[in-house]
Amino acid sequence: MVRTENLTFKYHQKETVFQFPDIDLNQTENLLILGKSGIGKTTLLHLMAGLLKPSSGTVTITDVNLQSLNSKQLDKFIGENIGLVFQKNYAVRSLNVMENIQARLFFCKKKVDHSAITNLLQQLNIESCKSKKINELSEGQLQRLGIALSVIHEPKLILADEPTASLDDENCQAVMSLLLDQAKKNKANLVVITHDQRVKPLFQNILEL
Amino acid sequence: MNIWKISIKNLFHKPLYTLLSIIALAISIGLLLGIRQLDTAVKQQFDNSLGNIDLVIGAKGSPLQLVLASVMHIDNPTGNISYQEAKKISKNPLIKTAVPISYGDNYKGFRIVGSTEQFAALYEAELDKGQLAQKAMEVVLGHTVAQQLNLKVGDTFLSSHGFMDNDMDVHSDPLIVVGIYKPTQKVIDRLIVTNLESVWEAHDHDDHKDHENHEGHDDHSEHIEHIDEDKEITSLLVNFKSPMGLLTIPRQINEKTSMQAALPKYEIERLFQFTGIGVKVISWIAYIILIISCITIFISLFKMVKERAFDLALLRTYGASNFQLIKIVAYEGFLIGVLATVCGVIISQSGLFFVYRMIKEEYKQTIMQNLSYIDILQTSVWVFAMIVVAITLSILPIISMNVSKILSNEK
Repeated sequence: MVRTENLTFKYHQKETVFQFPDIDLNQTENLLILGKSGIGKTTLLHLMAGLLKPSSGTVTITDVNLQSLNSKQLDKFIGENIGLVFQKNYAVRSLNVMENIQARLFFCKKKVDHSAITNLLQQLNIESCKSKKINELSEGQLQRLGIALSVIHEPKLILADEPTASLDDENCQAVMSLLLDQAKKNKANLVVITHDQRVKPLFQNILEL
Repeated sequence: MNIWKISIKNLFHKPLYTLLSIIALAISIGLLLGIRQLDTAVKQQFDNSLGNIDLVIGAKGSPLQLVLASVMHIDNPTGNISYQEAKKISKNPLIKTAVPISYGDNYKGFRIVGSTEQFAALYEAELDKGQLAQKAMEVVLGHTVAQQLNLKVGDTFLSSHGFMDNDMDVHSDPLIVVGIYKPTQKVIDRLIVTNLESVWEAHDHDDHKDHENHEGHDDHSEHIEHIDEDKEITSLLVNFKSPMGLLTIPRQINEKTSMQAALPKYEIERLFQFTGIGVKVISWIAYIILIISCITIFISLFKMVKERAFDLALLRTYGASNFQLIKIVAYEGFLIGVLATVCGVIISQSGLFFVYRMIKEEYKQTIMQNLSYIDILQTSVWVFAMIVVAITLSILPIISMNVSKILSNEK
């Protein structure tokens, strides 16, 4: 359950004030946010992820108002309840695949369930890369590891920032179905921001900025 | 998974960088520790060699030379003094013991010192085997001498004239080993001790050939008296009853006799003032290397924070707090510090091992090889102060990190 109300945001040095329409998603409802670049898509995503503080308005995730939390509580809440997917899916480069997942779970204080991890890696078809270093992975494997890292801790909200921008049609479909699939399995809300029109048919809820 | 593991993985991720930081720091620590320990060991060794000698009385000349020759046994003597005159001084009530020594020969580079039975007492040396020299031409070996020359009680050898080992000027009368001292770590370890008569006999043989054939001296005491009269010794080692002696006797000797009195403690202190400059210069070089290596650590940590800003921001979205990120960086610095300190101690100890071995071969002197914990502790405190500064500076970007900006800029 995700809700935003009267969100506005202004960057320090800049004049422009971003004003965002309200969002209200019930459990398992997904949302596609479309818009040209520079219109504040990533800003909105980061506001929802608690990485930015809004100038005004509130973000509520599973009945918790992010603005009411102190920074320590916020760190904890983000770690436990939100999964972020980036355009270029990064993982920590000094750790291998398995260690990245263990680190992900360590920081949000979740137990390492080996069978669950193996299961997830199998679903994403990267189980064989378990002990590979990050720079040994292909672009596609890295993308799927990014998805794994965003869902392994069973988040309530998965936020994806341009997940398909650099992918061809086939991989675009594959990544989107994986994301939708994982969101469904975790009973999480999936919010995708993109300017990629190919993704449009997969969503009922579409917000154009 | 925990913070330590992440720090270790980070260090292994850039092994060359890590190795460079550790090596640079280890070398400076090794140099610092090595020079400090050597300094302490040498000073200790000198202090130790003084034994119970408060004052040396010898021929006029350089007082430092007199001390180095008669106390340290590493320099040539300033000359000889009359045994008769020396004996007079010994009667002073402020003097507890006055030990005459006389020398001029060596065997394979080890000095042969003629003295009285009190000589061993100056160094608290006890017999390990055999007995003390009773008659002329009997010798007792210091522990190092016996060990290095592989001599046993009952062995005989021919001494040679002077302080350098040579085959040119060998005395014809063999000396016999009658005893061996226990190790003391003092100068007596590398001396061959005999009685005064042995030294006199070896040297005066040619000059007083007619002396032995002299008919008129049947009275034994008169004979001894006669010997004492024209006998010379190299120096007199004095131990006072009370510090009062220090105030009056040296001046008295220097002003009223043809001899000089030198205070070993004072002369050695003066010597250290000269050599101290070298130690200081090396210490400063080591400190400069230490600072440079800490800058290296700072740069590598700072670069890690900057280069992996995205990784760190990512960890923040995983739920890591700022404090946890700081811990990751701090642990890395700490690990480098600990590894470098361990390597530094190993470097200094192995370096000192070779230096000590060199000293042993060069000066025939074994040095007490104590690990100086105070030196290690002091150096470690320095190193860790530096590392804390390096860590503090390199974590500043973490404190002011803008996760959102880093994550959106990386696209």
